[in-house]
Amino acid sequence: MTMTRIDALTTAVETAPDAAFVVTCGATSREMAAVADLPNHLYLLDSMGLTTSVALGLAIGLRERGRDVVAIDGDGSLLMNLGSLATIGAYGAAGLTILLLDNGVHASASGIPTTSPRLDLCAVAEGCGIIAREVRTTEDLVAGLRVALGDERPHMLRVRIAPQNAPDIPWLHADPVVLGERFRTWV
Amino acid sequence: MPTQTAPLSAEAASVVRAFADTATRAVLHVPSSAIAPMIWDLLGRAGGDGVPELIPAGREEEAVGIAGAMNLIGHRSVILMQDNGFGNALTAIATWAIAYHLPLPIFANSRGELGEYNSMIHTISGPADALLGTIGVPVFGLDHRDEAATWHDVSVEAIEHAWLTRRPVVVMMNLWRGGAGS
Repeated sequence: MTMTRIDALTTAVETAPDAAFVVTCGATSREMAAVADLPNHLYLLDSMGLTTSVALGLAIGLRERGRDVVAIDGDGSLLMNLGSLATIGAYGAAGLTILLLDNGVHASASGIPTTSPRLDLCAVAEGCGIIAREVRTTEDLVAGLRVALGDERPHMLRVRIAPQNAPDIPWLHADPVVLGERFRTWV
Repeated sequence: MPTQTAPLSAEAASVVRAFADTATRAVLHVPSSAIAPMIWDLLGRAGGDGVPELIPAGREEEAVGIAGAMNLIGHRSVILMQDNGFGNALTAIATWAIAYHLPLPIFANSRGELGEYNSMIHTISGPADALLGTIGVPVFGLDHRDEAATWHDVSVEAIEHAWLTRRPVVVMMNLWRGGAGS
């Protein structure tokens, strides 16, 4: 059975409780907040495509403190800023893991298909110098995160998830200034 | 083997010095021939005491994402870019830097003015100030009428203003007539 986004988010939070999480906009941020709304979670309420770039900035700023950064992105969002993989790989960002929740659709935009099913995004990441692997089960996700966390090279885990959003998840109406300050205080 | 093609002008050197004088730790840069002498200068001194780390970004909105995140956690950074990239960067500046109250000093060289050789670049560079003003980003201009010392002082104050107000601030540098790229 295909993993849901909630399954993947729950597994990530449980496996990397001390990491900084940067979460892409739309249903992903809402579901993350529903799974666990914690100070180490930085939700991007808009800024679609910017998740990986924000994560790189945090990884550079946090490397001296030995903290891991996990960017939770979607395939649609990553495809908006695919060049960020080149920047991340070329920089060789230590402690940065991209958790690519790939459902092949823009689930927050009526399920419009993305180009992801026709692309080998792991090969793209590998070509940029990022260690990448496909993940289909929660067990694989745990194993992948354990390899990636604390490593000197950036990683990407392409997690195949079901296209549906979780039902009955409330809107995330938090003030971005408050979210940013909460995260900064945690750091 | 790449080489530096233009000397570092006194005005551009003043801006680079302002980075060190404000404890700037990283400079995100997007390609521009006008700011290239500043990049080459920093590259030539990379690893030196007080020299900020140079980080190339592929596009301007990427630079906004990276630098904004660094500044959110107190790792002081600035962006060096060209003003025709503000079209790319506008959404990221508004929904990330402004919405999350991030200090974000941006140094952009202006194009499309007198002496411009490109026949179309004025179509985005010309309205760049107005576009930034529309989303509430203050813009401070520097050109050939300003002494090099003024370039330094305005740059320092602009960086501190960004940190004081926790907002993006743009310094628009006319390096074409100021010297570095002309």
